[in-house]
Amino acid sequence: MRILHYLRVYREFVNTSFSEAMTYRLHFMLLILMDLAFYAATLGSVSFIYDQVETIGLWKREEFLFFVSFVLAIDHLHMTFVSPNFWQFSFDLRTGKLDFVLLRPIGAIFSIFFRTVRPASLVNIVVPWGCMIHYGMEAGLPSWGWVALPALVLAGLCLYVSLEILLSMSMFWFVESMGINFVRIQFQRIARWPDFVYGYYGRKLFTFVFPVLLVGSAPVRFLFDPTDYWPLVGLAAAVGATWLLTGVFFRLGLRAYESASS
Amino acid sequence: MLRRLRTEGAKWKQTLEISWSNLMAYKMNFLLLIVGPTIVFFFVKYNVWTSIYAMDGVDDIRGYNLERMLGYQVWVMIVGFLAQGYMGTRLAEDIRLGRISSYLLYPFEFWKFHTAKFLAFQVLEILVAAVTLGATLLLGLVKLPEWEMLAAGALFSLLVGFFWFAVSYAIGLAAFWLEETWVLRVLFMTVSNFLSGAVLPLEIFPRWIRTLLDYTPFPYVTFVPVKIFMGQATGSLWAASANVLLWTLLAGLLAGAIWKRGITLYTAAGM
Amino acid sequence: MTVAIECRQLAKNFRTYLKKPGFWGSLRSFAKREYRINPAVSSFDLVLQKGEFVGLLGPNGAGKTTLIKMLTGIIMPSGGEARVLGYEPFRRHRSFRKRIALVMGQKSQLWWDIPAMDSLLLLQKYYEVQEAPFRRRVSELSELLGVRDQLEVHVRKLSLGERMKMELMACLLHEPDVIFLDEPTIGLDLVAQENIRTFLARYQQRRGTTIVLTSHYMADVEALCERIVLILEGRKRFDGSKSEFEGLLGKEKFVTFRFKEPPDQSNALWSSLDAHWQEGGTKVELRIAEEELRSATIEILTRFPVVDFQTEKLPVERVMGTLLHRPELLPEG
Repeated sequence: MRILHYLRVYREFVNTSFSEAMTYRLHFMLLILMDLAFYAATLGSVSFIYDQVETIGLWKREEFLFFVSFVLAIDHLHMTFVSPNFWQFSFDLRTGKLDFVLLRPIGAIFSIFFRTVRPASLVNIVVPWGCMIHYGMEAGLPSWGWVALPALVLAGLCLYVSLEILLSMSMFWFVESMGINFVRIQFQRIARWPDFVYGYYGRKLFTFVFPVLLVGSAPVRFLFDPTDYWPLVGLAAAVGATWLLTGVFFRLGLRAYESASS
Repeated sequence: MLRRLRTEGAKWKQTLEISWSNLMAYKMNFLLLIVGPTIVFFFVKYNVWTSIYAMDGVDDIRGYNLERMLGYQVWVMIVGFLAQGYMGTRLAEDIRLGRISSYLLYPFEFWKFHTAKFLAFQVLEILVAAVTLGATLLLGLVKLPEWEMLAAGALFSLLVGFFWFAVSYAIGLAAFWLEETWVLRVLFMTVSNFLSGAVLPLEIFPRWIRTLLDYTPFPYVTFVPVKIFMGQATGSLWAASANVLLWTLLAGLLAGAIWKRGITLYTAAGM
Repeated sequence: MTVAIECRQLAKNFRTYLKKPGFWGSLRSFAKREYRINPAVSSFDLVLQKGEFVGLLGPNGAGKTTLIKMLTGIIMPSGGEARVLGYEPFRRHRSFRKRIALVMGQKSQLWWDIPAMDSLLLLQKYYEVQEAPFRRRVSELSELLGVRDQLEVHVRKLSLGERMKMELMACLLHEPDVIFLDEPTIGLDLVAQENIRTFLARYQQRRGTTIVLTSHYMADVEALCERIVLILEGRKRFDGSKSEFEGLLGKEKFVTFRFKEPPDQSNALWSSLDAHWQEGGTKVELRIAEEELRSATIEILTRFPVVDFQTEKLPVERVMGTLLHRPELLPEG
């Protein structure tokens, strides 16, 4: 019953986002262009490096590019379904518009972080998924791997989003929260490389303390070698722990919320 | 004449002070803006390049050994502070929220206000760059260039900073037409980050891309100043500076044209 | 009657920091900060019955909005207790949120870039309003407020008055039991203010909703509220009926007369009525005790060349104006 309520609200979130996106056509086109430039730059960088070297760490070109496409697929879903909300949250906190979110009879975290969808980004779905399929075939992904692929992308996305929501809770205390969004983007950059490129301490820090490296590395390592499933278990545990902490910090955050005066 | 200069100077000074006070008021925010590139350097770039060079048979990529590659990336970070720090986020907000109306009344123009803000920001960025250079020198990540090169690199970077500001300003003015200008800004930053050599040295790029890039301002944004700092710049410094000036002028003219069209739109619509 | 809102010793403190001007001041505040605690609301007691229409008055920064934000659960009180419809607001219980509504004249709950109807549809899903009652309420309310043709216009294209009407609709869709209206008529022209007032009066009469209103326009309060609560510097300084409030500074009526030519000012009649002469002696403002109002007026009308006279329209405004200048006139509460 509760779920049905949330689904109905979510459908309306999507509707209003579409209605909004259609109002600004130029903005819509630029968003598509922006994502494409980002994909080109990310894939291009790795590809250019492989023009010079045979392997990086354990992986050959096609394996590494499969990893990058996998992370871009997560990034794409993130861009489409959650990303705009983090910016909105910092704006709402600063202007006191969060007041209205708090008044609604529905989970506040849900309506803060899933309120806006970005339809323009949806259009680009072919790029990361196309690359992922292309490099997956080159890297010889087994057939069970193809079946598990969508679920693994979603698992990565789930951890990614959870971590970012947890990080955003700090915005309650930092009034001008652009800086937090900036840090969020740096973590995205860290997650975009496989865990083995990091040194001992870096890897431990971003696997066990703030586990952004699990986002891409855990599922892809599992795909290449199913006996390597422990990171995937870690991913599930990290999602659980992140939600617990988010609950705690959200409650503390509301206590500190002063609601900017009009 | 002198009087006018003095009152004009006072306006600039006051605007600079207000900008500093704004920047400092949200201290966490300011710190994070500095911390960001540092995290990326130490966690991503350092690790990625170390692990690439750790492979057997890889000790030279297009003239870069590990030490040089890391040096290159440190200078990218420093040039980033000096030349690409300014974001102009507030500019678009001023237009969108209609705050621009007050600037139309003040005897201090909109562009002057934002240029002063940019200058205030640059002063802090010079401090940040100096501290970063000091720290990386102590860590042995870079070598201190000869002082001529250091001065030339710093001046050149600051010159590029003006180009960056002119472009950011023009992009911000797009707010007259666009509901959100951050898309344009991010688009520009993504493209320029990649094509200016901030991710990879341009030597690693395929030949044909490099040839194309010679007709754009991108190499001057990061690659050229980094090479100056590293003492490896080829070609005349004066020619490069003239090129940057030319691009800055073009961006400035563009901004002027956008402002002219935008402001007629604005006053006509009475937003 | 049952209690709708109750608070005891409710308090809220805010922390602000001070900064000296200039570059060095900025650097210093970066390193070390001086904080100051500002009590926005302190030891506030209030009991409201269901169905009451209460005006919460006070100058800017008196703590009205802070009080309302505490009562709606948006911010957490620093001390004391509050109960609204039996709930503790800050727990933000789901069924509590379904039964209250808040309209802020200075902040919009509608989404700027989409038509109001899209926002209303979203709110319908939020509050789980069934399709049929939703349609009925939208059509009724838009008819009453006269915005039927604006439902499909983008909110940013609406005039302030139209937008405010949409805000009201948005808050009434789920038929809340308690409504908080924080300066709902701010910035509106006289006609729009009047429309909203008429609508609110009718709506409240019909549904018996408990409404708490803040406004700087005393006409709102005069027209709508039976009870007035005055808040100054975060403390409650008056709580009583409108007529009690009007009588706070004495039971006199204020009447202004205008004459064709200046009458004789030395007449004893004037001095007993505390006359204030204006416009070269052709206009006079008098303070007349309520029981003498009839006789004094008749006397003046018959004896002097009166061209025009009027009793004051907004006694609440006069009392309010006087109290803001001289809060010491209030009984110590």
